[in-house]
Amino acid sequence: MSIVLTDLTKLFHGTRVVDRVSLEVANGELFVLLGASGSGKSTILRLIAGLARAEAGTIRLHDRDVTREPPQTRGVGLVFQNYSIFRHMSVAENVEFGLRIRGTPIPERARRREELLDLIGLGGLGNRYADQLSGGQQQRVALARALAYEPSILLLDEPFGALDVKIRGQLRQSLKEVQQKLGVTTILVTHDQDEAFELGNRIGVIERGRLLEVGKPEELYFRPRSSAVATFLGSGTLLVGRCKAGEAHFGPLVLPIPTDVPHEDGARVRVLFRPEHVELLEEEPPGKLVLGRGEIVQGTFAGPLRRIRVRLAPLAATRQIAPAPPYGETGLLVEAAVPSENERIAGRPWVAIREWHILRRPAPRILVGESATAASEALTMGRILERALDGALTVLGVATEREKEEALRATLGQRMKDGGFPNASVRVRHGDRADAILQEQEENVYDFVVLGSEESHGDRLDPVIETILDRIVTPLLFVKREAARPERILVCTAVGEPGKADIRVGGWIARQLGARVTLLHVAHSGGEPPRWVRSHLERGVATLGSLDVESEFRIRTASTPLQGIREEETATSPGLIVIGGHGPQVRSRVAIDDVTRQVLRFANSPVLVVPENA
Amino acid sequence: MNDRRSRRDALAPVGFLLLVLIPLILMPLAAVFVFAFRGGAAEFFEALKAREALFAMRFSLLIAFATAAVNAVLGTYAAYVLSKYRFTGERALGIVVNLPVAIPTVVVGTSLLLLWGPIGLLGKALEPLGFRPMFTPLGVLLAHLFVTFPYMLGAVKPVLDELETTYEEAAYTIGASRLQTFRHVLLPALKGGIFSGALLTFAHSLGEFGATVMVSGNLRLRTQTAPLYIFAQFEAGNIAQANAVAAVLAALSFGIFFVLLRYSGRREGER
Repeated sequence: MSIVLTDLTKLFHGTRVVDRVSLEVANGELFVLLGASGSGKSTILRLIAGLARAEAGTIRLHDRDVTREPPQTRGVGLVFQNYSIFRHMSVAENVEFGLRIRGTPIPERARRREELLDLIGLGGLGNRYADQLSGGQQQRVALARALAYEPSILLLDEPFGALDVKIRGQLRQSLKEVQQKLGVTTILVTHDQDEAFELGNRIGVIERGRLLEVGKPEELYFRPRSSAVATFLGSGTLLVGRCKAGEAHFGPLVLPIPTDVPHEDGARVRVLFRPEHVELLEEEPPGKLVLGRGEIVQGTFAGPLRRIRVRLAPLAATRQIAPAPPYGETGLLVEAAVPSENERIAGRPWVAIREWHILRRPAPRILVGESATAASEALTMGRILERALDGALTVLGVATEREKEEALRATLGQRMKDGGFPNASVRVRHGDRADAILQEQEENVYDFVVLGSEESHGDRLDPVIETILDRIVTPLLFVKREAARPERILVCTAVGEPGKADIRVGGWIARQLGARVTLLHVAHSGGEPPRWVRSHLERGVATLGSLDVESEFRIRTASTPLQGIREEETATSPGLIVIGGHGPQVRSRVAIDDVTRQVLRFANSPVLVVPENA
Repeated sequence: MNDRRSRRDALAPVGFLLLVLIPLILMPLAAVFVFAFRGGAAEFFEALKAREALFAMRFSLLIAFATAAVNAVLGTYAAYVLSKYRFTGERALGIVVNLPVAIPTVVVGTSLLLLWGPIGLLGKALEPLGFRPMFTPLGVLLAHLFVTFPYMLGAVKPVLDELETTYEEAAYTIGASRLQTFRHVLLPALKGGIFSGALLTFAHSLGEFGATVMVSGNLRLRTQTAPLYIFAQFEAGNIAQANAVAAVLAALSFGIFFVLLRYSGRREGER
């Protein structure tokens, strides 16, 4: 590998402008970093060149760790958007500069210079000065200058950004030829996706300092894994529907879900159609995937293609992400691109799709409320979940006051490093613990919140948990003592109306953990339980079966639900108890002591509370 | 360009401006030369040939050269540091180094005396070691360095600030050290700024009076600069001597001024 970046991080005024970027670029590869302006792509280039210092992470160039080396010894060539040709030197002197610095003998310099000027197509212009050259020519000189001393790596920072379209095209071609001829490993930074597609062997998409996805141009365009990449690259229609029995439902449209992007029943599924895969037809086509009949709201001539936007009636239980619906739009908008000679399309065409792509489920985000003093049992559990769910772990520390935030951040950062959590993000807030956790959850939307107890509260519930429980809408995992990876999961459907969210979430976790599930119902009195209980439990087992989760149900008789759950816990010692919750509610003056709270107070196992709407 | 009024419209305002400028600026400029040659060329050259006059002029040129040379290096370095590094107190330092233009030169002379003089803060301690800069050519040089320091900075720093850092960064990645980068990349770009800064420093040093009169002790044939000579001769009633040197000084200043004018004109044209 020519270039290996590991967890590269750069802070600017406390924000991560480069956020744990890891990347490998092979020998001779032309790699393109693509991102909007301000995404941190140029900073990555500057870090590789040694013009900026990384706060964390390492840079290896040709198996040599250069993280702490100055730019002079890294052996990279860098080309800037503004060319930066030395104005008081001739073209020849510019190209020779690197060799002159290295004390190369004059005849050798001249030979190399002529070679390069020929290569970049500026033979015979050696005596010119920068102000006698066009922008395109200056950039060619900059390229020759950066290649003259045979650097092992070539870095280009928006090299064609300041040039007009035609020159840009010619230069891209030249660059590609030169790069292939010399076989120098190259990273090019750009915001122009055409450029990325044309030049890149592979492309990495950067957003807010994070490397979202890396892949071949075709791969990223037709099979993006995240909606961010799907919408950043090219245009198209991106819809969110639901998974039912292994198929994705978008209103009348039912698409099979490929086995390599598993989705559980009821989970959200995102589908992408590229405009060129959308067909507009005059008559309802038989045997095609039809979205419906719509009206054309916009048509733009774009050379070989005509871009058309069609509005259809909204699909049931389907949400649109792209094209972003304008304010007040209630219909479904679909982007299509048809050959421009096709002028017959008008009025109300039928919309069918030829190809589609189901996106991967986003990695679940797990928030751990971490104790200020010592590594907590919540952190251990958070890590178990992170591993099992292939999720992203964020650790939140809450300082008593603003001044202590920095110290706490450092402590937590060190603890994560020492504890082997290199990928965990550390966040720090100050003030009331419950408020801070709720605020963090609200701003950054996590899928799970994992909390321990700061101190023992005896038989009372930790007031922090109490407050959060009242207001949280996501599953909350409360861990009292150090727990291992759960092998048995107890799902209590004991209370209230038969919940489905708890079975769904519990089942999903069980599947990822490879754990067995026991569905428990606690009956007040002996004898045969009502039919609806049995049928609810049987359906639960069936649902879990469809997730490939082994499960059974049990009906216990006890005077209170709590007692039944406690008895079951003692008998089977499950690794995790899953119970439904009410979700946000207006806090009454007298604390409601429902079964959920009782279980949180008395159970020894970790308890996952799943709000009804989660 | 704004729409220019026609030539006829300009007649009255231009005429009035000239009316004001003639006694204020143009006549005094002319007077120096008129009076210098009033007694004829022979008398003029005779006056210049006086030993003290020759010394004063040579001494002034020497001090001006030395001041320009030292401040060219010091001012460029200061501009480099102030332009390239970010540090606490950067703003304060930026103000301090520009302060000398704002202080009356006589005050500068006084404070130099209070510092380096025989009873001054440092002077008292250095006196026993035989280091007495005041009332020597060194004292004059110190005063001139102080007074002209901001000119160099003012000529070089804007050029440095405007020069994109990518030039240096390109040089670094190519393999040039900081020093090599300065030598091969920055210095050539700063040449013009340094040249005009040095010329400006030279011109100001040549005419410096206030600080010089305090620190030099106005010693004939030792520390007397041309402006001090002119003043001394005038006071003694030797108008012809004073005028001759004054004319030379004025001619020199015009020369420098026109070089600067042409030079900056050419650089403007380049852009």
